[in-house]
Order: sequence, then structure tokens, then C-alpha cells
Amino acid sequence: MAEKIQREKWASKIGLILALAGNAIGLGNFLRFPVQAAENGGGAFMIPYFVALLIMGIPLMWAECAIGRMGGRHGHGHTAGMFELLWQHPLAKYLGMLGIFIPFAVALYYVYIVAWTLAFSYFSLTGDYFGIATREAMGAYLRGFQGIEQNQFFSSIAPAYLFFLATLGLSLYIVYHGVSGGIERLAKIAMPLLFLIGVTLALRVLTLGAPEANYPENNVLNGLGFVWNPQPHRLADATIWLAAAGQIFFTLSVATGAIPTYASYMREEDDVALTGLSTASLNELAEVILGGTIAITAAVAFFGLAETEEIARKGAFNLGFQALPMIFQRIPLGPLVGALWFLLLFFAGITSVVALTQPAMALFQDGFGWSRAKTTAVVLGALFVLSQPVIFFLSHGFLDELDFWVGTFGLALFALVETILFAWLFGMKRGWEEITKGAAFKVPRIYYYVIKYLTPLFLLFILAAWAVQDVPKKILMVGVRPEDVGYIWGARGLMITLLFGFGLLVKIASDRKQKRIRP
Amino acid sequence: MTPGGWVLLALSWSCIIIVAAWCLAKVLKRKERL
Repeated sequence: MAEKIQREKWASKIGLILALAGNAIGLGNFLRFPVQAAENGGGAFMIPYFVALLIMGIPLMWAECAIGRMGGRHGHGHTAGMFELLWQHPLAKYLGMLGIFIPFAVALYYVYIVAWTLAFSYFSLTGDYFGIATREAMGAYLRGFQGIEQNQFFSSIAPAYLFFLATLGLSLYIVYHGVSGGIERLAKIAMPLLFLIGVTLALRVLTLGAPEANYPENNVLNGLGFVWNPQPHRLADATIWLAAAGQIFFTLSVATGAIPTYASYMREEDDVALTGLSTASLNELAEVILGGTIAITAAVAFFGLAETEEIARKGAFNLGFQALPMIFQRIPLGPLVGALWFLLLFFAGITSVVALTQPAMALFQDGFGWSRAKTTAVVLGALFVLSQPVIFFLSHGFLDELDFWVGTFGLALFALVETILFAWLFGMKRGWEEITKGAAFKVPRIYYYVIKYLTPLFLLFILAAWAVQDVPKKILMVGVRPEDVGYIWGARGLMITLLFGFGLLVKIASDRKQKRIRP
Repeated sequence: MTPGGWVLLALSWSCIIIVAAWCLAKVLKRKERL
């Protein structure tokens, strides 16, 4: 018989949805999405994007919420315990352990990136980078700040480190105050502010017109066209489908282990189907409407199509941290607009950092019976210590190595495992009952078959494509400078140590639970 | 911006706004009942 365990609960339904939206909405909504859309066929990208949302994103969101609510009912806030419920096999808890290891490893570098957004918000408000005339010089400013090089802008990594400490301190404060007192309160403040800032910035961009009088073709309409004009011939290109599926995967923050943990604090009568759909739709509101309007559109209006293509090719950070600061210098109230842009990214990021720490928090609280204060000290303390190599070895590819294995490949692998466990080993009949129990609307029956067949097939396609395209190159360190090889091995050593460490903790927690049930 | 671009933008934006508004209305309505 399952033991009755008193666990924290969300104080309100809207608080739960905002917290889940805070987990889903991250930097990728505002930086990665517009770059992906512009690079992969513009409007044509949106067709596979919405297909992936319907057959992979929303089903995964429902499955994770259902797994989480069921886990919470049995006193499990982490996927290791939840997977044991789905599949009574000794391996299940180790597969579920991936849902604790992955988010913690992602948090090691994500917290540092979020700190950059806070710093750049401050630098915008104080006009610190105002006067830098070229994007190349802005790139030097960013590298100087990150400690990659010493230059006329920054002589040490100290400012970046201070903002890292501030971001980590804020995360600690929120996590320490628990699910309803910390995370829910943060979401209720940060999410409305994020949407308010996002709408303000989108309206500002849409009213830019053609800001450079000598270049009338550089205008907002051409900027929107860059993201939205369809190139139908590119729909036959498999890479577009892969890019769109990848974007849906990252944007909803599925398979990070955070959604099941958040859902484990739901009440029995809370609605999985409506919660999942509300979260996905708020995320799409932020991504497609706000994210698709702000950055790329402004870049085209100021730099023109050719230069924006080059900016997009160089990646999302080039757009957010180098190109946009050049624009803030040229518009009225630029310091304020710049500060708001980076504050928007900060709100998007900090809510995700907090979510990424939660599976590990749940492991110690539910699995070992630790107090919240003790757990917060251990988890955030470990996060502080283990993020040091990310900060100091940034230029040696330490962050990129972690990001590929845990933040890209690991997520797809975990999602596939989770879907197979839920739809096939637990069984779709029982899974469907969990999803539809207490639902405020009739979930279309077709999703029974989508989750059982299409979602795992789609995930298998993504995983196989990445495995063929990128994994061999990564394993063999193609393109890695000889002086960076040791650091890459260091990153791999850290991941393997964490993997075994969490594996051991999960085994101990599982053994303790067995003893409590059958003394 | 081509007509095709406008169509895709309008369709995407309106679908997302309608679904988000419908979901939030349902959530708030449920809250009232409880």
C-alpha cells in the first residue's frame, strides 16, 4: 500500500501554469527561434514547426504532466521514482535518473548565461557599451566581459563573476522559499512582467518603420518578411523538419525532468490536459508572436537583409548580445529599451534556472527526507562549485561540450525513453486515463495513437539524425584545437562523475523507500 | 513581406492567441467553480 506523504502543493492553478510557462519560456524563445526560422525557409519553417508542436510537443507535455501528477500521488517528485511506477524493473530508476542528471548539468552553464543577461541589462541602463561603433568591437566587449580575452573594455572576469553570484544568490533565495512561496511567487511576478516587456518591445519594433533614411529597403516589413515569407521549395528538405522539431523540443523544455517535478506538486483534481495545453500556448505566444517580432525584425530594419543573414548565421548570441546593442545606441530611449530587452531575457532565464534545479531538490527532499534548507544548501552549493570550470574554461569549449551531450543529445534520448516507458511499458490505456482524468475538455482520441506511435517515431528520427550528423564528430573532437582537448575530456569527466553520483544517490533513495514500505 | 508571409503570420498569430485565450478562460472559469 502506498504510504501517505505530505508534500508541498501549488497554491493556485494559474500559479502552476505560470510556473510551467516560466520553465518553458527561456532564452531560446527570443534568440534561437527567430534565427532558426530565418535560416530554415522563413514561413516554410513554420509548417514543420507546428506539425512538430502537434505531434511531439503537446503530447510530450501531456505525458510529462501525467507522469508527474501520478508520481506526486506516490510521494515521488523526481523521474527516478516516477519511472519505477511506470515500469517495475530495476533499470527503471536509472533511466529516470537521467531526468535529474540532465537538468542539473544544464543548470551548470545555463545559470552563467542568464547572469550575462542581467549584466547586459545593467550595462544598457548605464550606457556602458554606448559609443562602441561596430559589431566586431561589440563582440570584443562581450568576449572581454566573459573573460575570454583582456581588452580595453574589461581587464578581468570579475564583473561577469559578480553577476553570476547575484544570479545564483537570487536562485538560492527563490528555491529556498519552496514551491508556492518561492517558485510560484516568482512566476506570478516574472511572467506578467515578461509579457508586458515583450509586448512593449514588439510594439516599439513594429513602429520603427525604415529607420535609416538612406536605405528605405531596410524596414520593418522586410524584417517580418525575413522571418515569415514562405520558401515552399524548402519543405522537401529534411534538415528543415529536423530544425523545426529540434526547436519545438527545446522551446517547451520537455525532457528536462522539470515538468514532471513541477507536476508532482499538482493536486489530484488538477487538470493535466488543460495545464499542458495552457503552458504550450503561453510558450508559443512568447516565441512566435514576441520572439518572432523583436530581434530579427529590428536587425533587418537597421542592418538590412544581407547583414542580418550573416548575423543569423553566426548564431543567436551574436544577434542578442552584439547586433541588438548596436541598435539600442541608435534609437531614442536606447538605454531603457536595451535594459528592458536584457531584462526580458533575464526573466525568461531565471525562471528556467530555478526549474532546472528542482528535480535534484526533489531527489533529496523526497528520497532522503531532507529539509528544504539543507537541500537548497547542498544543491545550490554543488551548482556553485561545479559551474566554476564552465566560467573559467569558457574559451576552451567546456560549455559547448556540456551543451551538446546534456542539453541536446541527452534531452532527445531522455524524451524517447520516457515516451516508450509511458506509452508502451506503462501502457497507453492507463496513460490515457492519467491524461484525461478530470480534464476540462475532451482530449481528441487521435492523441491516444499519436502518443503511442507518432511521438516515439518522431523522437527516434531526431535522435537518429543527430546521432549520424553530430555524434561521431563530437566524439572524435573534430575541429577541436589541440590545446582544448584536455578541457573537453574534463567536461566529459564531470558529466560521467555526475551520472554515476546521481545513479548512486538514486539507488540509495530507492532502497530506503523499499525499507520504509516493507520494514 | 509577401502575401504568403502575411497569410502565415495571420494564421499562426490568430491560432495561438485563440488557443491561449481559450485555455486561460477555462482555467479561470474552473477556479470560480471551486
